[in-house]
Amino acid sequence: MEEGVKMASSKKIDVLGETCPVPLVETRKAIRKCSPGDIIEVVGNHPESKKEIPMAVEELGLELLDVKEKNDQWRIKIKIPEDD
Amino acid sequence: MQMHEERIYLDNSASTRVDERVVEAMKPYMLDTYAVATSDFAYTMGIEAKEALKEAREKIAEKLNADSEELIFTSGATESSNLALKGVMEKSNGDHIVISKIEDFPVLKSAQKLEKKGYEVTYLDVDEEGFVDMEQLKDSIKEDTALVSVQHANQEIGTVQNIEEISKICEEEGVLYHTDATHTFGRLPLDVEKLPIDLITLASHTIHGPKGIGALYIRDGTELQKQMDGGFQENNLRAGVENIPGAVGFAKAVELIDEEENERLKQMRDSLIEGIMSEIPHTVLNGPEEKRTPQNANITFQYVEGESITLHLDMRGIAVSTGSACFSKSLEASHVILGIGGDHERAHGSLRFTFGRFNDQEEVDKVIEETSEVIEKLREISPLGEGEEV
Repeated sequence: MEEGVKMASSKKIDVLGETCPVPLVETRKAIRKCSPGDIIEVVGNHPESKKEIPMAVEELGLELLDVKEKNDQWRIKIKIPEDD
Repeated sequence: MQMHEERIYLDNSASTRVDERVVEAMKPYMLDTYAVATSDFAYTMGIEAKEALKEAREKIAEKLNADSEELIFTSGATESSNLALKGVMEKSNGDHIVISKIEDFPVLKSAQKLEKKGYEVTYLDVDEEGFVDMEQLKDSIKEDTALVSVQHANQEIGTVQNIEEISKICEEEGVLYHTDATHTFGRLPLDVEKLPIDLITLASHTIHGPKGIGALYIRDGTELQKQMDGGFQENNLRAGVENIPGAVGFAKAVELIDEEENERLKQMRDSLIEGIMSEIPHTVLNGPEEKRTPQNANITFQYVEGESITLHLDMRGIAVSTGSACFSKSLEASHVILGIGGDHERAHGSLRFTFGRFNDQEEVDKVIEETSEVIEKLREISPLGEGEEV
């Protein structure tokens, strides 16, 4: 690994059982601590949060990689953009 | 991660950005004249500090048309209101106090603490705009009433009480009158020569002054029990080393406020209310249209949670506050919105926008636009739907 270059990392947030606005609050907390290139995976089951988190991703200018749902559980993958 | 470089701050009733001129005025009293205020028989730096404190006291008292001897510095509005309520009741022979239901926490919690100690408290109702009923006030005053505390203006919905009439009723009935002017001092006229008010809570950080300093106006002859024991500072009513940089900064902040600025805030307030109410359906203005503080707009957005709106506006670089508190420390909906007859849904969907010196019309336009978008999107995903009034 080249010295001084930080590797992008992946972080998982479990908000199963939490309702609005907690999943968004927890996602935001994680985003604030991330570095460019990092990926965050949020897992939850509150239906409104599944729509609200992508809305926040757009507002923050982040990249929505994936939204999947299975057995009433959803997974949202977010990427923090690389620096220009 | 940096979210937004440019932020629009519309929570000026919570606190304001300190004006740079205030910071400059304070600096010498932190870096050069940092001594405690001393008597004239001590060293020069202490005498200069004492003179600065005196001058600050005079400037602030002048704004109230009061004598500077009637003003004591405190750590802020919270301490001032605590001292006013507890100080009067502990010194008085009366054991009954009257407050309004929508007072800010320093008054409300002080009254509740007194109630636990055995004092009787009457909580006055307010109407749907937040105004105290004068007949109920008159009826509530009895022989053992020592103090009435009704705020000058409300912290959340901006309602400006008729303190002219309240103070006159109290004078006629022979009871002391305290008012919390945290959200009006400097913004609205307040003259103790014209109005028989006995105690006034004043704040600095709501008018671009520093935090950690406030004041209590105490009409000459009003007796108070000291709450903070120690030295003999502040007419022996508040012990502790004087916050001279704070007092100097507070005085500078008072000096910098003018009518032109208050008029500008009022115009921005009206523009925001008009813009939001006309562009966004299912909105309710909380508080009166006319008799409200120049800096306050409070609107309920039906079918959405205030905390969600606050979060999404923040992600767009806009700071506002909400009366919704499902996840905040208090875990209770706004007692003010409930006090004016609103239900929990009205409280949970309420947003408070409060203006200050550093806002401009361009920001107001941006806030209207962003709020419209956020509300539209949140309503699309809201479980509350639009079919039912909330």
